[in-house]
Amino acid sequence: MASATTHDHAHGHGHGHDHDHHGPGPWTRIFTTTNHKDIGSMYLWFSLLMFFVGGAMALLIRAELFQPGLQVVQPEVFNSLTTVHALVMIFGAVMPAFVGFANWLIPLQIGAADMAFPRMNNWSFWLMIPATILLMASFFVPGGAAASGWTLYPPLSTQGGIGVDMTIMAIHILGASSIMGSINIITTILNMRAPGMTLMRMPMFVWTWLITAYLIIAVMPVLAGCITMLLTDRHFGTSFFNAAGGGDPTMFMHIFWFFGHPEVYILILPAFGIMSQIIPAFARKPLFGYASMVYATASIAILSFIVWGHHMFTVGMPAAGQLFFMYATMLIAVPTGVKIFNWIATMWRGSISFETPMLFAIGFLCMFTLGGFSGLVLSIVPVDITLHNTYYVVAHFHYVLFPGAIWALMAGVYFWLPKWTGRMYNETLGKWHFWLSAISFNVTFFPQHFLGLAGMPRRIPDYALQFAEWNMISTIGAFALGFSQLLFVYNVFSCIRSGEKAKERQWDSADSLEWTHLPSPVPYHTFETPPDLRGTNAAH
Amino acid sequence: MWDTFRAVFWAFLGIRSSQGYDEDRKKLKIHHVIIAGVVCALVFVVMLLMLVKFITAK
Ligand SMILES: [Cu+2]
Repeated sequence: MASATTHDHAHGHGHGHDHDHHGPGPWTRIFTTTNHKDIGSMYLWFSLLMFFVGGAMALLIRAELFQPGLQVVQPEVFNSLTTVHALVMIFGAVMPAFVGFANWLIPLQIGAADMAFPRMNNWSFWLMIPATILLMASFFVPGGAAASGWTLYPPLSTQGGIGVDMTIMAIHILGASSIMGSINIITTILNMRAPGMTLMRMPMFVWTWLITAYLIIAVMPVLAGCITMLLTDRHFGTSFFNAAGGGDPTMFMHIFWFFGHPEVYILILPAFGIMSQIIPAFARKPLFGYASMVYATASIAILSFIVWGHHMFTVGMPAAGQLFFMYATMLIAVPTGVKIFNWIATMWRGSISFETPMLFAIGFLCMFTLGGFSGLVLSIVPVDITLHNTYYVVAHFHYVLFPGAIWALMAGVYFWLPKWTGRMYNETLGKWHFWLSAISFNVTFFPQHFLGLAGMPRRIPDYALQFAEWNMISTIGAFALGFSQLLFVYNVFSCIRSGEKAKERQWDSADSLEWTHLPSPVPYHTFETPPDLRGTNAAH
Repeated sequence: MWDTFRAVFWAFLGIRSSQGYDEDRKKLKIHHVIIAGVVCALVFVVMLLMLVKFITAK
């Protein structure tokens, strides 16, 4: 055990009270903290809250779609709900949650005392609050929230009231926050590794975040430029996207999706990282093909920049362009498929046990593969031309993002909760949470494939009668899915309050530094003297 | 030089044998790998474009 880990125990107090010793009261601490664990927790709580805000919007959407006709919300509000649901889930729930994991885990896994820029870290968290307030408040201004879909396509987004401007500002601020977070993460990983923690010895989670952070820095400014042009089109008389003034709305789509497709990988690569930590721990075997995994992640990141056109097959594009983006998109499935095979090979002949994190990980593997395959279906130009803007697309990206990003986050929380809190969650409840989620998720989203194939368009509050049955089933599934997540919240709270004491190495085959070098719960300050890993065999 | 490009080629496929990886670790420099990665991405784009040209030619 590294000597650095013992000092905090000398205080001899429980985890929940250690702020007594760090000066400021709880509120001052929340506002001024520069501790990566505090900030990580704040990110995670914030994203949990936003997950339920976005989820509530999803349930309103599904309630409206329970039956044909208009029952619950007005069509304008419905459009705002689909728009803000996506923005909240992407920028408010999934991305901050992964940044929360990064804050908690990267310093622990590379043997650093904290993040490289602790104050900027605090700032990038607190920036999210005004952004979220702007986004939420936009529902209550004249004209309502942005109703153009999260892609903010003009001319819908050049119309709209002040709510659209508030959304643009909110995205600007959230983008700035993510960029600062990424600078922090890259600097930490490249400069603050403990002696002996070479790049190719870093845990996969750290690797995936390093690559993700570069992606964020590469594409967030593109999004910012894109919505800035939108803003000047709206208020300052420019015509970037206004055909009447010589502009081109198609250009918006190209710029937006040049950001948008890498964004998808920003949402999924850290999930790959979490999977690569959890699966070996429960298969009790080292990760199969660690080098391949690193190489594949890097090449997925590079290739993600040349496939954006697959979102625009129907907007008017030369056949050569369609073919190019189709081939490129299909080929990106190769390194992704390799990762799936690597995880399966990791489990092959392992002595697997099925605790909650592993259940979510296996659920991730199955469902993400399904979502990947429907993505391949959509990458075929002639197929996409009939399926574009139908519920098939909705089903596809929810298969990728819910069991992909969200289940990876859930798995990660169950996996690291014992390390973070020093207490164990309730395993039975965790299993219930998994199975209820798995069943209700499929009840919600699998029928949407059928709806899409039958031609139901997305982003409509009302629909033709022949879609009624599957919509009803989907809505029932959605409510079950939404309410099952309350089990997770209950489990986390009861774990923190009264869970059983966790062991230092709760998962006996987890081998990153936080498990091998630090007690549970992790003390407030860790690795103030970096552990010396030279010559040791610390694995990935 | 050739080693770097070979490693990047395998990376695009997403596979690297542990033997090949051991060689990479001894020989390769990270900056070379990044440059080779970008070059290979460009080559990949050009190859796809040529394929598309070939298919759409009358
Ligand atoms: Cu895409």
